[in-house]
Amino acid sequence: MTSARTFPRSFDSLPAIFDFTADLFARERIDPQLLPVIDLAIEELFTNMVKYGKGSKADVQIEMTGIEGGVEVTLIDHDVEPFDVTKSPDVDIGLPIEERTPGGLGLHLIRKLLDSIEYDYSRESRRSRITFRKTSAERPGAATAGTRGSNARD
Amino acid sequence: MLAIDNGPPGVVVISGRLDAAQSPAAQSFLDKVDGTVTLDCSRLEYISSAGLGVLLKTQKRLLAGGGKLRLSGVSKHLRDIFGYSGFDQLFEIEPAE
Repeated sequence: MTSARTFPRSFDSLPAIFDFTADLFARERIDPQLLPVIDLAIEELFTNMVKYGKGSKADVQIEMTGIEGGVEVTLIDHDVEPFDVTKSPDVDIGLPIEERTPGGLGLHLIRKLLDSIEYDYSRESRRSRITFRKTSAERPGAATAGTRGSNARD
Repeated sequence: MLAIDNGPPGVVVISGRLDAAQSPAAQSFLDKVDGTVTLDCSRLEYISSAGLGVLLKTQKRLLAGGGKLRLSGVSKHLRDIFGYSGFDQLFEIEPAE
């Protein structure tokens, strides 16, 4: 069963979002070890929407569905410019500390931790839609998530 | 929620969730520490990139002054995050028992 809620585009929404994920995990009996990864992925994607979608006043919709062994999450952002999160560059984690910055780390991390992440943009409705999946299956070597992006789907 | 406070000498204890909403409070506390500091993470449940930014900024400042930030009591989940971020090369990390 899918649970859906909308959240005002503000960092202050994070506690309510984390309550939303915790409730779904308890109700659907999803492996609690996945919860911090799901919270992390939602936080990174949601805060990106807050930071880079300042022109929009629309709330952000989050949908979550329990799937076999895990969860599928979709974030929908209205009245925004396209930003394909699957195409952001990887962070060079080998740089010396003087050259390290936090920029891009969130998207880099979630690509490492998730099973898959997909991006879709509708120019007609100016709507971004990001869907990701995470299951309990062990992922040796933590290969980067399968990604699929689209910047111009009408 | 997040709590951060001084522990035994040279130790800062952090607990709860270090997310984008809580990071400014953590940064403001860590901006006041000096020398070599151990951050006891044994009750830190969660960290996001905003929290990693707080640790990175603090480590850069302390290293410039001849000190450093050490991380102790680090859970497997946090170790994964630090590993994927390359932070295991920037910090001395002591795993949780």
